[in-house]
Amino acid sequence: MAAKKAGSRLEVEIERCRSECQWERIHELVKQLSVKLISNDDMAELLMGEAKLEQYLKDNPFKQGVSPRGPRPKLIDVRKHLTAALDRGNLKPDFMQEANMIMAKLNYVEGDYQEALSVYNRVGLDDLQLVAAPPYKLRMIAEAFATKGLCLEKLPLSSSTNSLHVDRDQEIITCYEKAGDIALLYLQEMERVQTANIQNRSPKPGPTSQDQELSFFLETGLQRAHVIYFKNGNLTRGVGRFREILRAVETRTTQNLRMTIARQLAEILLRGMCEQSYWNPLEDPPNQSPLDDPLRQGLNTKCYALSRRPRVYMGENIFCPQENTEEALLLLLISESMANRDAVLSRIPEHKNDRIISLQSASVVYDLLTIALGRRGQYEMLSECLERAMKFAFEEFHLWYQFALSLMAAGKSARAVKVLKECIRLKPEDATIPLLAAKLCMGSLHWMDEAERFAKMVVDCGEKSSEFKAKGHLALGLTYSLQASDASLRGMQEDLQRKALLAFQRAHSLSPTDHLAAFYLALQLAISRQIPEALGYVRQALQLQGDDSNSLHLLALLLSAQKHYHDALNIIDMALSEYPENFILLFTKVKLESLCRGPDEALLTCKHMLQIWKSCYNLTNPSDSGRGSSLLDRAIADRRQLNTITLPDFSDPETASDSSSLSRADSPLHLFVSTHLPLSPPKSDHPLKTCVDTELSCGPPDPRLRSIHATSIAASRVEQALSEVASSLQSSAPKQGPLHPWMTLAQIWLHAAEVYIGIGKPAEASACIQEAANLFPMSHNVLYMRGQVAELRGNIDEAKRWYEEALSISPTHVKSMQRLSLILHHLGRYSLAEKILRDAVQVNSTAHDVWNSLGEVLQAQGNDDAATECFLTALELEASSPIVPFTIIPRVL
Amino acid sequence: MVTTEKGVVDDWLSEFKILPEASITNYASSLKERSSLVSAIYEVIQEPHSELLEPVCHQLFEFYRSREKLLRTFTLQFLPELIWCYLSLSSGRDLQSSGCIEALLLSIYNLFCNHVLEPRTYLKREKILRNLNVSFLEIMDDDGQSKIMAFTIPSLSKPSVYHEPSSIGSMALTEGALSQHGLSRVVYSGPHPQREMLTAQNRFEVLTFLLLCYNSALNFMPTVSLRSLCQICSRLCVCGYPRQHARKYMGIKNRVPVSSEFMVQLLTGIYYAFYNGEWDAARRALDDVLYRAQLELFPEPLLVANAIKASLPQGAIRGTKAGTKCIQVEITPASSRISRNAVTSMSIRGHRWKRHDTADLTLPEELTEISEVDEGFCSRAASSSSQSAMSQSSSSGSFSRHPLGKAQRRSTGGRIGGKERDPFGDSCREHLCRKQNQRALSENLELVSLKRLTLTTSQSLPKPGSHSLARTATSVFSKSFEQMSGVASSHNPVSASTAGTGAGKEKNRFSACSLQEEKLIYISERTELAVPGKHQQCQQRSPSICITLSTD
Repeated sequence: MAAKKAGSRLEVEIERCRSECQWERIHELVKQLSVKLISNDDMAELLMGEAKLEQYLKDNPFKQGVSPRGPRPKLIDVRKHLTAALDRGNLKPDFMQEANMIMAKLNYVEGDYQEALSVYNRVGLDDLQLVAAPPYKLRMIAEAFATKGLCLEKLPLSSSTNSLHVDRDQEIITCYEKAGDIALLYLQEMERVQTANIQNRSPKPGPTSQDQELSFFLETGLQRAHVIYFKNGNLTRGVGRFREILRAVETRTTQNLRMTIARQLAEILLRGMCEQSYWNPLEDPPNQSPLDDPLRQGLNTKCYALSRRPRVYMGENIFCPQENTEEALLLLLISESMANRDAVLSRIPEHKNDRIISLQSASVVYDLLTIALGRRGQYEMLSECLERAMKFAFEEFHLWYQFALSLMAAGKSARAVKVLKECIRLKPEDATIPLLAAKLCMGSLHWMDEAERFAKMVVDCGEKSSEFKAKGHLALGLTYSLQASDASLRGMQEDLQRKALLAFQRAHSLSPTDHLAAFYLALQLAISRQIPEALGYVRQALQLQGDDSNSLHLLALLLSAQKHYHDALNIIDMALSEYPENFILLFTKVKLESLCRGPDEALLTCKHMLQIWKSCYNLTNPSDSGRGSSLLDRAIADRRQLNTITLPDFSDPETASDSSSLSRADSPLHLFVSTHLPLSPPKSDHPLKTCVDTELSCGPPDPRLRSIHATSIAASRVEQALSEVASSLQSSAPKQGPLHPWMTLAQIWLHAAEVYIGIGKPAEASACIQEAANLFPMSHNVLYMRGQVAELRGNIDEAKRWYEEALSISPTHVKSMQRLSLILHHLGRYSLAEKILRDAVQVNSTAHDVWNSLGEVLQAQGNDDAATECFLTALELEASSPIVPFTIIPRVL
Repeated sequence: MVTTEKGVVDDWLSEFKILPEASITNYASSLKERSSLVSAIYEVIQEPHSELLEPVCHQLFEFYRSREKLLRTFTLQFLPELIWCYLSLSSGRDLQSSGCIEALLLSIYNLFCNHVLEPRTYLKREKILRNLNVSFLEIMDDDGQSKIMAFTIPSLSKPSVYHEPSSIGSMALTEGALSQHGLSRVVYSGPHPQREMLTAQNRFEVLTFLLLCYNSALNFMPTVSLRSLCQICSRLCVCGYPRQHARKYMGIKNRVPVSSEFMVQLLTGIYYAFYNGEWDAARRALDDVLYRAQLELFPEPLLVANAIKASLPQGAIRGTKAGTKCIQVEITPASSRISRNAVTSMSIRGHRWKRHDTADLTLPEELTEISEVDEGFCSRAASSSSQSAMSQSSSSGSFSRHPLGKAQRRSTGGRIGGKERDPFGDSCREHLCRKQNQRALSENLELVSLKRLTLTTSQSLPKPGSHSLARTATSVFSKSFEQMSGVASSHNPVSASTAGTGAGKEKNRFSACSLQEEKLIYISERTELAVPGKHQQCQQRSPSICITLSTD
């Protein structure tokens, strides 16, 4: 009794070793076995034969694509064992089959394909039971099918007729497909048994299981089928086969294979398929598809059945992709998660190869992810994916660069600049990178010093092709030009403007076909009031690019500076026919119309703007169905913002760049937080900011504390924050969503108010202002307009109060300063009025009405000489003054 | 135009008009074979002043409007060429001749939108021809009022036909993944209102959408069309730039404006062309897109083009003759090719970190806790962890002889030497300890990364048995500290200059002292952050570090 028990335990142990391919242990187990019973001798022969063959194959592994090379002296022993077992015929039929299969395998290893095939035919592979078969048996059957396929491939075709050829191909593929399916089944079974063993604390909870590797035959069985499909140009079946393998529940051994196959399938979906030829993994493939080689059309459905199939992923609500990009993305995410897991972190030289391998397999996946997500515009998600790639990225330029670009595309500017810096370090000779950084810095970030540094990098760097060099000068010019607008000292302003002009001239001469160079040169000339020269260059720009909205706008403003208001209006109308929804142009149009065509026209335009606004931003709202998915909202918002990318704060050119930047990239969180530090310029190491700011935005240490820009940026942030707080108290006001459309709307109302004020209708004007105030109650523009209405009504005190409030929010609001000083003038407080006007002149030295008021105040004080000078200046400036300041035209790289 | 070609087009124009309804299907399938006709039509389109242009455009639109899918495909294959003609003419302000092409493009666009907007007629057509444009069905809501194209972003946290979330493990559950737990449907194109005319404002919106439609039918496009796509893309990108002369493109000299979304859509087609028989043309087009995207400073096309370029198979496919499809796979080894003893992000997760009381890796408790959540690593962490791990390479030798090449390592060599050889330099040690403690207490990302890299170190090392190894580990540990501080003050001129003093002990010590003194400034900024209580506790532990140091 005890002996029998021991025997069965021995058998279980042998079975386990065969399943787990532990051939060394078989030897000693066989010895124990032969001791027990004489009838075990045949069994022992079988086991010894198998163990020796497998051991041999383990020591001398096959390589893909290499044929076996005739008889082996080392295998004589194996043949002896097997012949002995087979000849005596004492084995049970099951074991006879096994012995035959091993024999056939041996024949293949020794290159005797014909013999191997005849043995397989004798055994009848297709009739072997898969149900309730022990794992080792599944492995044998899988290997047998794979071997059969290999043998069939090796045999020369007996007949050359084409139909037979196709049949043979199909037979081979079916062998491999069966081999693959059964191999998957075997691996799943193995894993199930092993986990069960671990749970039962069975004697040897496999340290060996870790070492499980796929044999050559299983590997071939799993992969050869789809390789042949693709070689034959049958993409449909190939994709189908890939999907079958991937649908099978993964095991530890197949993880790596799945990673590769998932990536390969994604590659094929992206490279060879389109939306219209796609069918999803749960559908039957189309019978005819442009994917397949038209000469080799065959059946596109599977033509074999197995008594047992590997388990597949199933469930009620499992996600099934409906489009090729979706499927590719899913596969890539799976592949990525595995590639990421294999990231080799150690950097010792011995692991250099491992590092390279892990980097390569990951970067292929990340490149494909980029292609797939780029197609669908999902840069936000892409930047998150690429962030995960950063563990591979040490000194890897490509990964760093892609990460930086994805951050940029996702609108995470501050971080993008930091990553771009690393890219510059890794590849200092590439001019594009500093240019990109400069673009970000002078755009939404408004880090002008940094921008200047980056632009200089491009300009200073040795020989480059002229187009990049020109771009560098353009960037430098823009930086200087924007800095000049920010500068508070007149001397500095003029110096910067001169430098800007110089840089634009260089850019223009280096790249005469670039309309941007000509345009910015014209704009810079216009800002420094060289109107005729500016006209010349803007014409050049328009010749290079006839329908550029900014050039047309500038042309109109230049004409208005020459007081050709009707011509200017015509140009604006022309520009609007190309850009009917461009609000900047429309705002200028309102101003021109109230001058040329009277207030009625202007009001009509305002109404028209409101309609456009509604159609622009309402059109996107029906997607409310997808509310909650923030991505959806963002996608729409971003798209809209591209159309009308800059919408500066019109009545206040100095803050132009801020307000547009604020509306673009900064998160509401950012806005809110930074507004808690009002009136002090963005300081990098403020504790509150550093811990809340998600974008690692340690802004550039802006040392110019007195910069107007700093105060005005703070002002407009205060404006926004206060408005947000105020409007959150009223439930009706709009809250969510991008700020930008709401700012536009407020501007429209304010423009309408201005027209009403112009025709002396305070009631209507204040109704309009109220609309704007509902959106931004604390905007200095709103407060200023309220002051205007109060003045119109004759409430001087009230007007004064409004202006003071406007100035308390935006201390550099020139118009409020001018109106306030006028009132002070009337009240007889000359010196205060003079002080305010002098400040205003510092802020904006080209505002002619400020000079005029200053002259009046000085005159009233009896300072006639100075007054005369002021009047002359005012007169001179007025002669070249455009209808709206030139600086409302956005300056971006 | 040669008269025979004119004849071909003339025939084509007239034959369709008299074609009986019943034979349209046969006619449509026969069109594909008529290559002379296709090339003749291309020539008509390329010749803007041809009197045939208008009737050809009209006929193409008739085809497109028909119910026969093959006829629609026939029209669609000319789309790239039509787009190019329209853009080049409109940039040259040749509005007269671009008129009929513009009309054709606009009608195709509006028809697409119509299909989207009028589901009922469309569905009927769908029944007649089952295979027709399946994808458009998907872009409609239940009520048939959809105006947008949306797709679902798959998420690993939801089970799919290919995976189960549990098997992926927590790896995928990063912050980003959690924030979008589950599937989200995202609009990628639209809404597309009907357009009455092409303006500078809507031009690229319309053209991008047309390309999107073209791309969704790429499999049905003949290679001629793919080649034309690549060629027009090259022209579009380089015209008006110095590269135009290199490419020898004649004709327009003005730059043609492009939008970044439009370029991304072009890249989709180019990517397909690479692997479907037009390798060389696609290669040139890709280069030109990169060139243009660089000059326009468009991040989106740069991203995609870089990715396409990097994922091209090296040389293997170049040899295959033009015109063949080259989508092939090979058998890949199923087992991981990464050796088992290499530290990977997987293996490092399974490791339990023990705290050795006397040994090298004395870390404050706080750090160990932080390390548990280190999945959301930051970029700096990754780079510096690799740094320190690399420094192990010098573990067998003396570490005062570090090569000075690596910029980040500049500041490290000298200081380690100093620290190691100067166990009694009280002030230094004190600074060091203080520094460590204070750093330990400020819970920021740098610390997480610091922790991470120390872990890396210890794992790939053998057990800290022999004292020399312990020493190494310590050095690595301290080095990693320096690494972090090196990041903070990478432009520190002193650290750079002292790095050169690898050999001299005295000098080393000196520099270490001075450096640490310098660090004090940095530290003092951080002291506010440190909680006093914890500070005490850590200071008590700090001598253990010094004990290790003195083993030498």
